[in-house]
Amino acid sequence: MPELTYLEAISDGLREEMRHDESVFCLGQDIGSFGGAFKVTEGLADEFGADRMWDTPLAESAIVGAAVGAAVEGMRPIAEMQFADFIACGFDQLVNVAAKMHYRQGLAVPLVVRLPSGGGFSGGPFHSQNPEAWFLQAPGLKVVAPSTPEDAKGLLASAVRDPNPVLYLEHKHLYRRLRGEVAKGRYETPLGEVRVARPGSDLTLVAYGAMVHTALEAVEDLDGARVEVLDLRTLCPLDREGILGSVRKTGKVVVLHEATRSCGVGAEVCALIAEEAFEDLDGPVVRVTAPDVPIPFSPPLESAVLPQVDQVREACRELLEY
Amino acid sequence: MGVSVAEGTITAWRKRPGDWIERDETVVEISTDKVETEVPSPAAGRLREVLVEEGATVDVGTLLATLDTAARPGEAHADEHEAEPGERSGVVSPVVRRIAAEHGIDVARLRGSGRRGRVTKKDVLALVNEQGGAGPESAIPAQEGDGGRQRAPAGERLSLMRRQIGEHMVRSLKTAAHCTTVVEADMSAVEAARGRLSYLAFVARAAVASLREHPSLNATIEGEHLTVHSEVHLGVAVSLGEEGLIVPVIRNAHDLSHEGLATRIADVAERARSKRLLPEEVEGGTFTITNPGRFGALLATPIINQPQVAILDLEAVTKRPVVVTDEQGRDSIAVRPMTYLCMSWDHRALDGVLAARFLSSVRRNLESWSG
Repeated sequence: MPELTYLEAISDGLREEMRHDESVFCLGQDIGSFGGAFKVTEGLADEFGADRMWDTPLAESAIVGAAVGAAVEGMRPIAEMQFADFIACGFDQLVNVAAKMHYRQGLAVPLVVRLPSGGGFSGGPFHSQNPEAWFLQAPGLKVVAPSTPEDAKGLLASAVRDPNPVLYLEHKHLYRRLRGEVAKGRYETPLGEVRVARPGSDLTLVAYGAMVHTALEAVEDLDGARVEVLDLRTLCPLDREGILGSVRKTGKVVVLHEATRSCGVGAEVCALIAEEAFEDLDGPVVRVTAPDVPIPFSPPLESAVLPQVDQVREACRELLEY
Repeated sequence: MGVSVAEGTITAWRKRPGDWIERDETVVEISTDKVETEVPSPAAGRLREVLVEEGATVDVGTLLATLDTAARPGEAHADEHEAEPGERSGVVSPVVRRIAAEHGIDVARLRGSGRRGRVTKKDVLALVNEQGGAGPESAIPAQEGDGGRQRAPAGERLSLMRRQIGEHMVRSLKTAAHCTTVVEADMSAVEAARGRLSYLAFVARAAVASLREHPSLNATIEGEHLTVHSEVHLGVAVSLGEEGLIVPVIRNAHDLSHEGLATRIADVAERARSKRLLPEEVEGGTFTITNPGRFGALLATPIINQPQVAILDLEAVTKRPVVVTDEQGRDSIAVRPMTYLCMSWDHRALDGVLAARFLSSVRRNLESWSG
C-alpha cells in the first residue's frame, strides 16, 4: 500500500469520490485553480474542471446554503471551510436548515463540510479552534474526526455516502506531519465505530483527532501499565458500546481532547460512562482538555493551553495509582 | 448492642482524630463476648478525640470518642492529608463494591494496593481468582447476565455469624477427610440415674472418660502436624436458635466430677444464649459434642470443629424394642431407651478401628453407668 500524508489521504479521498460519483462536487474559497488554503484540493480542478470545483465568494453562509440546496436536489456536495473557525458564519444554514431538513420535510441532505481544525501552530484564536461540540447539540448532524491517513480517506467516503449532513474535522497539525499506509481505490470507514488504537486492560484513554497521537505517545512507556487508547473517530453518533466495552474491561477512564472543557465531547463521554457503566468504575472519570479559554497566539501560552504529553501521562499515572 | 451486652473490647479504630466522618460511616470495630460489630457514626462530623484505645475492654455506656459536628468536610486539617502506613482508605469504588458483593468478600477488612490502601478492582479480582471459585467466599456464584455482565445476587446478605459459621464449616469440609461412625447405646442405666439432668451431661462425662482411654481422639491436626492432648477441653455446641450456634469450651473437663461437668455445661449454655461468654471461652477445644438430639432426629453426620479430629453427635433417645441377653445367655425382646452415637472423625488423623473402639468405650460407660 502507498504511504500518504494525512493531507494526501484527504485529497485522494476527494478524488476517488468524485471519480466514483458524478453527483459529488466541491465548493469553497479558492479551492479551484489555487488548490485551497492548505492545498488539499490541488490538482482536482485540472481533473474535474471548474464545474465540479466551485470557487465561491468569501461567504460561509452562502457556501453552506448552496450546498444544502444542491444536496436536497440530489447532489453530494463537499464544502470546504478555510478554517473550521469560520463555520460560525454558516451556522444558521447548518443547524437550522440542514440539520432540520430530515425532521421537517423528510429530505435527505447528503452534504459534507470539511473543517480544517485544531491548533499547535500559533494560529491564534480565530484559526485554531475545535468547534465540534457546537454541533453535538444540533440533532440531525453527524460529526467525524479522523486521526490517521487511512481513516481520513475512509471516513470521508462514508461521510459523502451518508444521507445526513456530516461535519468532517480534519486536523491541520496532522496535514503534513503524519504519514501512513492508505489503500488505493474506494473504501469506507464505518461511521459510529471507535478504533482501538492501542489495546490495554488497566485504563481506557479516550481521544480523537490529533490527540490520539498525544495519547499514544503519553502511554507508550507508562511504568508498564497497559493502557487502552480508543480513537473515537465519530463524535456523533458516539459508539456507545465501543466505549462502554472498554470501560467495563478497565474500570478507569481518562478522556482527552484538544477542545475546551465544558459541555464538550469529553463531558458527553463521561456522562455516558457515569450512566451506563457506574458499577464498572474503579475510579473517578477524568478529563484532560484545554481550559475554557480561546487559543492564544503566543507559542508558550498555546502550549500551556493545549493538552501536552506530560499532562496526559500524569493524569493516567494518577488514576492508575488511585 | 443488645441489652444483654455488658461490655465490649475495642478491636480497631477505623478513624483517627481529625478524620472526617459521614453519618452511618463505620468509626470503630467492637468485639463483645458474642459478636464482632462495627459502630456507625450517629452524625456527620470530624472525629475530635478518641478516648478508649484499641484492645481496651470497657462497660456499655462508656464514652469512646467525641465528634465535632460543627466541622465541615474538606477543611484543611493537619491529619487529613497524612496517611499513616496501615491506614485504610474508606473509598470502595462501584466496581469493587459489585464484585465484592457477588463473591461475598468483606472489602472493609482488606488492605489494597491503591491510594491509602484502597482496594482496587485488581485487588478484589486477584482475591476472587485466589479462591478459585471453590472457596467459601465464592459460595455465592457470580451470575452470568446478558453480554457477560455480572449482577449482584438477589436476597438478603447473611448475618456475620452465619457467614462465619459457613466459612468455618466449608473450610472444615475442605480440610478434613470426614468419616462418620455410628454405635447404638442403651441408655437404661443413664435413664435410671439422670433424674432431671439432661442426657448430654452423661454422654459428655462418658466421652471425657473414654477420651482419657483413647487420647488419639483428643487431638488437633494442623496441616501435617498432629497434637495429642492430655487435657480434655470439651467443646459443647449450643444452639442460638435461628441466629446460629456457638461452641463454648469447658477447659479441663476431665478434672470435673459428673455433677461439676453438668453444672458447667448448663452454665456455658445459659451464658451463650444470653451472650455473656468471654472470647477465651470459645477457644482451645480438643473435642466437641453436639446435641441436637433433643429435637427428635435419629442420626446425623456432623462436621468436625477444626482443628479437632472428631466430633460426637448425640441424637434423640427413643424407646425401641431390642434384643437383650440375660446373665444366663437367654435372649429376649425388651423395650429400652436407645440412642445412636454418631461420630465424625478425620481420616487424616486416625482410622475406623480407633473410632469404633472409642465409641464402644463411650457406649460401655453409658450402659454401665453407676454414677
